[in-house]
Amino acid sequence: MKRYEKITKEIREVAKELLEKNEVEKVIGFGKGLILDEIGPIFISKPKDIKRLEFTPEAEMSLAKYLLNYKGRNVAIVAKPCDSRAIASYLSENLINRDEVKIIGINGCPGIEDNTACDECDIRNAVIADYYVGEKMTEEDIQKELKDKEDKIEKMSPQERMEYFRSEFERCTRCYACREACFICYCEECFTDSNQPNWIKESVSLNDNFTYHIMRAMHMAGRCVNCGACEMACPEGIDVRALEAKMVRVADELFDYRAGVDPKQKTLLAEYDVNDSEKGFMD
Amino acid sequence: MMLKKINSSQFEKLFNKLKKDYNIAAPILHQKGKKELIEYSVIDDFNKIVWDKQPDTSPKNIIFPQNTLLGNDYEENKEYDNDKITIVLGVRSCDLAAIKTFDQVFIEDEMYTDQNYQDRRDNTILVGLSCEQREETSFCDVLGIDAIESDYAPIYLFKDNEIFWIKINDQKYESIFSDLPDGNQQDFEKLLNFRRKNFNQSSFDLDIPVPLPEKEIFKSEIWEEMSEKCLSCGVCTYYCPTCYCFNFFWEGEGEDSTKYKNWDSCMFSSYTVHASGHNPRDSKDKRYRNRIMHKFSYHPLNYEGLGCVGCGRCIDRCPVNLDIREALKLTEQFLDEKGGA
Repeated sequence: MKRYEKITKEIREVAKELLEKNEVEKVIGFGKGLILDEIGPIFISKPKDIKRLEFTPEAEMSLAKYLLNYKGRNVAIVAKPCDSRAIASYLSENLINRDEVKIIGINGCPGIEDNTACDECDIRNAVIADYYVGEKMTEEDIQKELKDKEDKIEKMSPQERMEYFRSEFERCTRCYACREACFICYCEECFTDSNQPNWIKESVSLNDNFTYHIMRAMHMAGRCVNCGACEMACPEGIDVRALEAKMVRVADELFDYRAGVDPKQKTLLAEYDVNDSEKGFMD
Repeated sequence: MMLKKINSSQFEKLFNKLKKDYNIAAPILHQKGKKELIEYSVIDDFNKIVWDKQPDTSPKNIIFPQNTLLGNDYEENKEYDNDKITIVLGVRSCDLAAIKTFDQVFIEDEMYTDQNYQDRRDNTILVGLSCEQREETSFCDVLGIDAIESDYAPIYLFKDNEIFWIKINDQKYESIFSDLPDGNQQDFEKLLNFRRKNFNQSSFDLDIPVPLPEKEIFKSEIWEEMSEKCLSCGVCTYYCPTCYCFNFFWEGEGEDSTKYKNWDSCMFSSYTVHASGHNPRDSKDKRYRNRIMHKFSYHPLNYEGLGCVGCGRCIDRCPVNLDIREALKLTEQFLDEKGGA
């Protein structure tokens, strides 16, 4: 808990400075509700509310997406390393202006409870920030804390895999919490909402649930930072991240590409090199 | 009114007798990935029923399922035997109040009766359950809902450890219970009084006019503040026991096409998109305003009671912990300040 407390203390110090000097109108961070005793996103604009800011193992949401609502305004944002990668992605896609955002980046992220993505995470320091909080982790420490990356889905036979995804997607009610929690899903019109062409039916059935999740995963290729926000948001406990995580591995293995590690990097699908692997992931 | 008092093994016997002639749905534990959720399912084993915790999903899914192929009700859900009546066991006061709002809209409305809903409702026997304690996020008491007792179910249960008190409000069902031992009215009153005295009331209070005055608050800035963290997903509406918005869809081509009725959600940006492309509720503050106003202004204006029953599921299930109680508090403060100015 010490790591979380240290980060909390430092976030408050930075937030205090930024708000008192009027450098930002708001700090987007994590904190308890006014009635509910649980951690969620909070938006702090008055210095007296700074003590509401917290960082705990329950700070599961990805805050980066809120930045899209604040274009043209100066805000500060608390960013876990995965969120900082999301912000770096936004910058490389020219979606936000760097000078409008003050990033409070968390170094040595101690991880989020129940988020399986954290077990596989090897980027534990913020990739971009104006203020760093926490303690930077060395590559050695990161490797030490990395859980064994045994992928149960890769090991399955095609039949078992089909059965697994069938039992997962059967529960999907298409509330679209995974889509809305995902920083990449910022399309003005999602393919699910299009009626011409009508990619998927409005009635919820196993077939169309498959279509939805597979199509979403395809859009994630080379963009997903494996933060696990989709999985954490799902009210039905579906392993939403499984397909997206596969896309992350494919991009890494075939093109040695990882999304959001550098705000200046080009997006995977926006550049081509004659030496690029042409191996498809369906074979 | 008939009052019976039986122990759990007598109830189990009754359950086993009834399950031959009825579908019996009750809240049981479901392991869903990492999540353990209590939801209604048709069950065979009495001992699986979870009595002491509010189900995570309301019985809405039974009487108003997400997908309905019109004219062919339970086809999608193989759990239910279409030829049998469904008994829904353990429906708490909040969920009964929610079903009352459905009944007002789909059956009692002078303009229109939804025959599909009416049929499903006629084929369902609701068996209520008295709450012993308020759940963390529930605020039924603040909205004036009696968690201890409701007469909206024809049969209502009071579970007291291994004892079940059964109150039969509707004569029609008395014959089912006629062989069972009678309960003592005075002892029953004692139990009710004890429960009322010991009910853990909500720590927050609320003083808002109902219906909420649309003209005064429609254009206020509170909606933006309330909905700032909203993701615009449909979780709150899908798990809400009173949200009943739906849409019709023709699916398939030519003679194979079928008409579906499906849940819709006012939190989706596509909910109000016109054919022209214009969207009158193009931002999440407008959509969240509609959710609050429907429950606390439009429903009470057009029907009776509120469109919210204070079950707290929207707070529990929201991926970003958006709290409807905070939204109502903010509305109260805004109206107070406005009234005082």
